[in-house]
Parts: sequence; structure tokens; C-alpha cells
Amino acid sequence: MIEAARSKVVPVAEWEVLAARQDVRRARKNALLTSIFGAVGLATVLLVFVLVAIIAYKGAPTISWEFLTQPPREGMSAGGVAPMILGSLLLMLGAFLLATPLGVFGGICLAEYGERSRLMRLMHASVAALAGTPPIVYGLFGLAIFVLKFHFGVSLIAGWCTLTLFCVPSIVLTTESALKTVPAALIDGGLALGLSRWQTLWRIALPYALPGILTGIILSLGRAVGEATPVLFTASVYYSTAEMTLGWDTLRQPVANLPYYLAEGYRQPGVVPERLIWGACLTLIILTLLLNAGAILIRSRMRRRYL
Amino acid sequence: MTATMAIPTQKTAIETVDLSVSYNGKSALRNVNLAFPENAVTALIGPSGCGKSTLLRALNRMNDRIPGVDIRGKVLLNGKDIYARGVNLTRLRREVGMVFQKPNPFPMSIFENVALGPRLHYGLRGRALREVVEDALRKAALWDEVKDELHKSGLALSGGQQQRLCIARMLAVQPRILLMDEPCSALDPISTQKIEELIIELGKQYTVIVVTHNLQQAARISHYTGFLMYGEVIEWGETRQLFERPRRPETEDYIRGRFG
Repeated sequence: MIEAARSKVVPVAEWEVLAARQDVRRARKNALLTSIFGAVGLATVLLVFVLVAIIAYKGAPTISWEFLTQPPREGMSAGGVAPMILGSLLLMLGAFLLATPLGVFGGICLAEYGERSRLMRLMHASVAALAGTPPIVYGLFGLAIFVLKFHFGVSLIAGWCTLTLFCVPSIVLTTESALKTVPAALIDGGLALGLSRWQTLWRIALPYALPGILTGIILSLGRAVGEATPVLFTASVYYSTAEMTLGWDTLRQPVANLPYYLAEGYRQPGVVPERLIWGACLTLIILTLLLNAGAILIRSRMRRRYL
Repeated sequence: MTATMAIPTQKTAIETVDLSVSYNGKSALRNVNLAFPENAVTALIGPSGCGKSTLLRALNRMNDRIPGVDIRGKVLLNGKDIYARGVNLTRLRREVGMVFQKPNPFPMSIFENVALGPRLHYGLRGRALREVVEDALRKAALWDEVKDELHKSGLALSGGQQQRLCIARMLAVQPRILLMDEPCSALDPISTQKIEELIIELGKQYTVIVVTHNLQQAARISHYTGFLMYGEVIEWGETRQLFERPRRPETEDYIRGRFG
């Protein structure tokens, strides 16, 4: 008999009664918490869904081949947003080419030397603070330094420099944390094989961390492409009807871009029809969604390959 | 200095001289003087925390990176101290390979895992590289199982195969001394048996030093055994003698299973 072994602190038959009471309490608490978390989760998803649904509903009718490939016409009141899309893509491309090496290299430095050196700990703290700095601060800094001090003027190249500054801190941080997920056993394996520290980093740690690093870069660019303030004073032009011709001159000229078009267009309700604004809004969202989808795709592809 | 424990009739492959290691002031290894015989399997046994892994890792300087570590004494390889100033770690580890407790294949193909070492150390490519890879995989008794799927990820292999892949990876660098840190402790009995057979085979051509907590394993695979306790070498000798007629009471207590 089990009962024989049970403690006499409570009458032997009572144990089951006590347990049953606790079972009821536990079930009640479980149900309560499950419904709270479920409701909060649902609310969050709904919020995002409704937001995207409204923009899609308002913007979808505007989106057409013409809207995506034609410049604005009739004093911005008709036509498409091709120069804005092109400008946004150009800004992003430049930021990608400049910020990637800087950010990845910085992340490597922090991950490799971060714990031992006081200087690197200070750098880590600074970079983390920079990553949380509001984008308008980058915009003003870019205006003061690149546009005025370096005499770049309001231009694509000033926008590149500003967006690069904006992207580098988050790329540094994601690179650093991706490198820190590399198992110590792999590093030991490389070193025991006689590989130098840099060979171990280059041949073993970086490939292992690459999906995480690429995801970080893409997410950072996705954020940058949607921000108006870094390029507001540094690279943007609002009224652009000219056929865009790409060349060396483009570097020194300002470019139209989607977020600036949205901000400025919305401030002048009489000029730009609302349907164009909604259309541009949806275009921008689709652009960032594509970037994020790309990030997810890259990550899963690479993980599947050897991990 | 205590007298070096050596096997008089054997040539020495690697030798420690008054080797002491401490971590943050806590002593892990005290005045170890051992001469490991060439082309034989030597087992290091002892209770957990006795310093056997520390001793093994001291032989290819894998302790260097641990924060707070302090290493004194010498380790002589070809008559030269590997802790001397200006020693090239790459050259050292090319000669003294290591396999770890948990198999740690790199996240790349089976071929790349084995090819990485010879490519970086000797600049081999093409046919020569392929032949070195095949030779290493054969010596590690893995070739027949993987020869048709060399492009597959090393991580797709079973635990025992992964460990043999790590052994092949080490052999491809052409070392003379092989260090193995409890190479079977994460493996099932059948994989363990395969690795044990492999170690016996490798002992004919290489100097193999194996740390193990499995006494039967030490008895099965090794020619010589060192028994460590509290960071000191208590007894050292031919495996059969140490297990059948231990000289020290601590050794006898340990191998009879009275502690540890």
C-alpha cells in the first residue's frame, strides 16, 4: 500500500484531497495567464495587421506599372514615383557598400578584443549608445559635417555618408553578437589544428556567424531606407521631374526618395493628391518587407547548408 | 626537482620538466616530470579535477588562452622548450595534434573539414590535396563510410563518425604526437570500441597520449599509464604493471574502485 509510507503530518486520506485542490488552483491560474497572454499577443498582431491593411487598401489602387516607372507630372499632381524609388535604392546601395565593411570590421574588433581591453569596452558602450541615437541627430550631423564642412552640398554622396553613420552602429552590434554565438569548441578546434587567430576567425568563426551578420546588415538597411530624417538635410530633393540620368554627376546631386516624398508631400495637401501619397506609402512598406523577407531567406538557406 | 619519470628503454617524444599550472592562483598541476615514449599509447588516468586534462592541454599550449592561467616549467619537444619566447604556435600544433572530448567538426563539408589543415599549412591543392584527405580518412577508419558523400556537412555524421572525422582532420596536418582528451566520453559503446581500435592502430605510428576516466579503456588501449591525483603524478609505468601490481597505495585504491 502506498498510504502506509505517506507522512502522518496530515491524515493519510487527506493527501489526495490537498493535491486535488492544488490541481484546481493550478488549472485556474493557467487558464487566466493563457488568456491574458493570448489577448495581448492577438492585439499586437491585429494592430500591425490593421495598419498594413489600411495602407494596402488605400494604396493598392494607385500602384500600377506606370506609377512605379514614371516620374511625377503636372507639378507633382500626377504621374509616378520612379525617381523616388530609384533614389531610395541608390541611397541604400551606397550605404550598404560603405557601412558593411566598417560595421563588420568594427564588430570583429569588439568580439575579438572586447573583453580584455578597457578601450574596447568603452567603444562597445559608445556604439550601443549610437545605435539608440535618434536619426534626426544623424541628419543634423551630416548637414554640419558632410554638406557644409566638407562642401559636399546636399547630394547623394552626403546622404551616403550620413546613412553609413546611421547604419554602422547596429551592424557593429549584430556582427559582434553573431560572432559571440560561435561555439568555443570550434575556435579551440581551429587553434588546435595550428590555425592562426586570424585564420580561425576568417575560416571558421566568420562563416559560422555569416547568416547572423547578413541578417543584421539587411535589417539595418531596411530601417535606413524608411527613415526620412538622416537624408532630410543631406541628400533630398522634393520636386524632381527630370529624367534621371546616372553618371558621376549623380553623386554631387541631391536625389528624391520615398520617405522624404511622403513627409513633404503630406505637408502640402493641395499639391500632391492623397492617392499618390498612399501609393508611395505602400511602395515603401513593400520595399522594406522585401528586404526583411530577403533576410529571413538568406538566414534559413545558409543554416540549412551546413548547420 | 623530482626525478623525471621515464621508461628507460624507450625514446622520448615529448617531456615535461617541473611543469606547474595554476588558474587564478589555484594550483592545478604541480612539478610534473614525465617523459612520454615515442610511438606508443600513453594513458593519463585519475579522479576528476586531478589535472590530467590540464597536463594534456599544456603539451600543445591550449591552456594559454584561459584567463588567469600561470604556467611554469618546461615542455621539451625535440629538445626545445615549447614555452620559450618566440615559439611559433602554428609549427608546434602542426607537430602536436589534438582531439577533444566532444566531437567538434567545423560547419563545412566532410572534405573541407579534412582539407583545411593541409591546404593552409602546406599549400596543397588539387590531386595532392585529395590524396592527403583520402589518406587521413583511411587512417581514421572513416573513408569507407563517407567516400561517396564527401560534400555533405560534417555535422550530418553520427557522433562516433564525427569524432573520427576530427581525428582525420588532425592526421591530415601530419603531426607526430596525438593528444586526445577523453575522446570517447560523449560516444556510445559501439563508437567507443571503434575509436579504441583506432587508437591502438595509431599507436604503432604515432605517439598517442590519451586522457581517460575509463580505467578499463586505459588498460585496453595503452602501453603506458600515468596516474594523477591532486595535480601530481602519483605513479607512472607500463600499463600492465600499474594495473596488476601498483606500487603506491593510492593507485591501488583508485584502480580497485575504492574512490574516484
